[in-house]
Amino acid sequence: MNPDRAKTEIFAAILALLENESTVITEDLPLIGSDSVLDSMKLVELCLALEDKAADLGFEFDWTSDAAMSKSRSMFRTAGALAAEFVSQMESKK
Amino acid sequence: MIIITGASKGLGRAICERLLEKDFAVFGIARNVEGLPFPSMACDVSSYEQVKAVSQKLKKDGVKITALINAAGIASMNLAVTTPPNVAVNIIQVNLLGTIYCCQNFAPLMLRNKMGSIVNFSTIAVALGLKGESIYAASKAGVEGFTRSFAREMADFNVKVNCIAPGPIDTNLLKGITSTQIQSIVSQQIIPKQFTPSAVSDLVEVLLDERSSSLSGQVLHIGGA
Repeated sequence: MNPDRAKTEIFAAILALLENESTVITEDLPLIGSDSVLDSMKLVELCLALEDKAADLGFEFDWTSDAAMSKSRSMFRTAGALAAEFVSQMESKK
Repeated sequence: MIIITGASKGLGRAICERLLEKDFAVFGIARNVEGLPFPSMACDVSSYEQVKAVSQKLKKDGVKITALINAAGIASMNLAVTTPPNVAVNIIQVNLLGTIYCCQNFAPLMLRNKMGSIVNFSTIAVALGLKGESIYAASKAGVEGFTRSFAREMADFNVKVNCIAPGPIDTNLLKGITSTQIQSIVSQQIIPKQFTPSAVSDLVEVLLDERSSSLSGQVLHIGGA
């Protein structure tokens, strides 16, 4: 899967978890913190969905990195950061 | 399938045998699983990587996990000031971090099914503040605190998390403690008698039962404290 396609699918996975389907998923949409569009339950559900997606693609998505919950470095700080981390793990585990 | 850590001996083994008697499918984890008469995998719970490897295998095999019993633990009865630092680290590593690592790695297998029960283990030494068990009690007090907070994190997913805190149960963990010391602890319980691994297994069964679905984040004292 190419990186652009992966990003599109991750954004779709985020959108699928939101009650407001008209939300536009952008690169800088926060996934943690007070402005997050996801509560803790939805965040875990997103992790499980990405784990499944990674398994389909033949790699294991590790969502327990050192920086997972650091607001400045976390892969969850924005939708774009999460997509970039997913692609990075996908590329490095090929 | 129910995962039980510390499955090769002591309380863990007794719980495995009880659950097998009741026709539950069990999967045992222990450092040495040689000769265990049920499915098992060698794993040191104090190693995050080893615990993760077990969870990856179970996930790959498509095993449905319904419960996790964190019975693995070690004890060391010593004054804190005479306990070597490596022993203190080992107690915290196995009892507290081992429990946390297992919850971190096995809970996601239950979250997918939106159901499950996790049983952690503490000790009466926490409630009574027993002399000579300060580091052991500290490790288990950590387990109690973790249990209460983790239970809230799991509640959205219909996974309950509870903690059993027994008094002195007749297992190898009591090796080196005199009967006088045991009696002294037992006498401080609300029900002042020494209970057996069977009583612990009874409570595990209760916590696995759907009828205990209203209980989460609780510390249950065998014998009362």
